Amino acid sequence: MENHRVGLSEAGPSSHHITYGTSSVPPPIPNSNFIHQDGSAFDFGELEQAIVLQGVHIDDDHHVNKSSSSLFSTRPATTLKMFPSWPIGFQQNTPIGGISSKSGEDQEDSTDSGSAVNAFSSHLQQPESPISCSSDHNNSNNHHLLQLTQNQQQYHQMASPRTGLSPPVNDQVPLSKPNHEKKKGPRSSSETLQDAKTLRRLAQNREAAKKSRLRKKAYVHQLETSRIKLAQLEQDLHRARSQGLFLGGGVAACGNISSGAAMFDMEYSRWLDDDHRHMAQLRAGIQAQFSDEDLRLIVDGYIAHYDEIFHLREVAAKTDVFHLITGMWTTPAERCFLWMGGFRPSELIKMLMAQLDPLTENQVIGIYSLQHSSQQAEEALSQGLEQLQQSLVNTISGGGSLSDHGMHHMTIGGPLGEDGMHPMAVALDKLSNLEGFVRQADNFRQQIIHQLHRILTVRQAARCFLAIGEYYVRLRALSSLWSSRPRESLIVDDGSCQTASDVGVGRSSQNNFSNF
Amino acid sequence: MEMQYQRDSWSTPCYFASASAGGGSGVIMVTKTTAVRDPVERIERLAAESAVVIFSLSTCCMCHAVKRLFCSMGVNPTVHELDEDPIGKDMEMALSRLLGRGSPSSVPVVFIGGKLVGAMDRVMASHINGSLVPLLKAAGALWL
Repeated sequence: MENHRVGLSEAGPSSHHITYGTSSVPPPIPNSNFIHQDGSAFDFGELEQAIVLQGVHIDDDHHVNKSSSSLFSTRPATTLKMFPSWPIGFQQNTPIGGISSKSGEDQEDSTDSGSAVNAFSSHLQQPESPISCSSDHNNSNNHHLLQLTQNQQQYHQMASPRTGLSPPVNDQVPLSKPNHEKKKGPRSSSETLQDAKTLRRLAQNREAAKKSRLRKKAYVHQLETSRIKLAQLEQDLHRARSQGLFLGGGVAACGNISSGAAMFDMEYSRWLDDDHRHMAQLRAGIQAQFSDEDLRLIVDGYIAHYDEIFHLREVAAKTDVFHLITGMWTTPAERCFLWMGGFRPSELIKMLMAQLDPLTENQVIGIYSLQHSSQQAEEALSQGLEQLQQSLVNTISGGGSLSDHGMHHMTIGGPLGEDGMHPMAVALDKLSNLEGFVRQADNFRQQIIHQLHRILTVRQAARCFLAIGEYYVRLRALSSLWSSRPRESLIVDDGSCQTASDVGVGRSSQNNFSNF
Repeated sequence: MEMQYQRDSWSTPCYFASASAGGGSGVIMVTKTTAVRDPVERIERLAAESAVVIFSLSTCCMCHAVKRLFCSMGVNPTVHELDEDPIGKDMEMALSRLLGRGSPSSVPVVFIGGKLVGAMDRVMASHINGSLVPLLKAAGALWL
C-alpha cells in the first residue's frame, strides 16, 4: 500500500517524490500514472480545502513537508482544471460504492475531471484497482465529490497518512477557470453564510482526516507487528517439527511428523502459554481476594480455555489419532501416566480432594459420586479399547496364517477372511475406531471439568483449577529435570540439587500441592 | 437363522427370533415384535419392552464399552445385536437418523424406560452429571 503513494507520502523513499515536486507547470500528467500511484494517498478533506478555498491561506499546523508543498502547488491547479463546475449544497446520497464499482472498466480519460474523481474515490476504496471511470459518471462526479466529503467515514478508512498536501495554496493557485461558486471576493451575505458553513465543514474534514491518519498509522503498525509475529510463528513451527522428530524416539526411518501432529503441537504450546496466563490470573484473584463476580469471570475464562483444548484435540484426533493417543505431544513424565491420550479423571479427582477442603457435606457427596462414576466410565472405555485391540490382533494374525503367508499374500487378491472381506481392510476399519475412543475419553474429561465447576463454589473452583494447572506445571518440570539429571548419580537432598528442592523432589508428594 | 438366547452375562434372557424371509431352518420362538417389518416401529417396540435397551453390533467395541458400563452399575440391559437381525441394516439407518447428523456411527444407542437417551457420549455425559442413576431408578432398572 505504501509503495503506491510514493509521490506524496512523507515516508516513501522514492524518487518519484522528487520528480513531481520539481515541476512548476502542472504537467499534463496522464491521469493513469499519476493517480494510480497516488490515488490512495488522497485525503479528500485537504483536496477540498485546496479547491474551495483557493487563495485563502489555511494555516495547517500538521507537519507540512516542504519539498512536497511545491508538488502540491501544482496539484490544485490541475485539479481546478479538472473540475469545470462546482455545485454546492449537494445532498444526494449516492453511495460511494457506486463510484468505485466501476473498477473493472479501464477507460482512462486523461482530461476528464470525472476520471480523477473517480480514480481518487475508487482508489480510496481499493488502492490496487486500476483507474475506473465511466462516461456515465462524468457529469455526476462533482456531485460525488461533494457527496464524498459528506461521507467521510467511508473513504477515510483508506486515507493516506499526512502527505504534506496541505496548503499554503494562496498565490500558487491560478484561478484560471473560476467557475467555482465558492470563490473568495465580493460576496453576498448568503455567500458569507456559505463560507461559514464551509469553514466548519472543512474543520470537520480536517478532524476526520486527522483521525483516519492516526488510524492508518495504527493499522500499519499492527501489520508490522503481525509480520514479526508471523516470522516467529514460523520459527516455532520449525522448532516444534524438529522437536517432534526428536521426541519420536529417534526412529531412524521417522520422516516428518504429520502436519496434523505438528499443528497440534504448535497449538498446544500456545495453549500452554495461555494456561500460564490464566493461572496467574487465578492466583492473583485468590490471593487478592477478588469479589465473587470477578473471580467468576476468571473461572469462566478458564473453563473456556479448557473447552478450547478439547476442541483442538478433537481436530487432532481426526488428523492423527496416534499422535494424540501415544502422547507424543506431551512430556515424557506426563506420557508415562497417560490414559487414552490424556489425563485420567479419577486420579485427578483423587488428587483434588485433598486440595479442596473445606467442602460442605453435599459437596463431599457430589465429589465422591463424581469419582465413582469416573471410575466406572474409565473402566468401560478401557475395556472397550481392550476389545478393540483383541479384535485387531485376531484380524492381523488372520486365523493362523502367520507362518504360512508372508505379507505379500495379504495383498489384494490374497486370502479373504471369513466375512468375505480382505483382512487388511478389516483391520483398517477397526483401527478407525480408535478415534472414537479418544473422542469419548475427551468428552468424558470435559464433562468432569464442567461438573466440578457445577459442584464447587466460585472460590473453590478457582483453587481447584489452579491446583490442576499447578500439578501439571510440576509434572512437566519433573520431566525436564529428569531428562537433564546428571547420569552418575542423582543425589536428591536439599543441598546438592537446588532446583530439585524447589519442586520438592524427594519429599513426599503430599506436601507438594498444598501451597494455595 | 438361529434362535438367540441371552448373549452374555450382562444381558437378561433376551429372545428375539428372526423370521427368515426365505424360509430358514426352524423358527423356534416368535415374539410379537418379530412380525414387524418397519424398522422404526420395531425399534420403538423393542425399546419399550425392557427398562434398559441397547442397540448394538456384535463387532463394535464401543458397544462393548457401553455394555460394560451398565453392568458395572449393576444394571442388566437388554441387548439387540443388529447384525443378527434380518432388518438390522434398516434399523441401523433408522437409528442413525434418530441420533442426528453429529453422530459418526449408528451404534450403540441406548433407550431407558422406552425413551431415547442417545449414543455413548450422551450416556457418559448423563452419568457424569448425575442424571443417569435417577433415570435408571425411575425406569426400575436400578434399586438402591
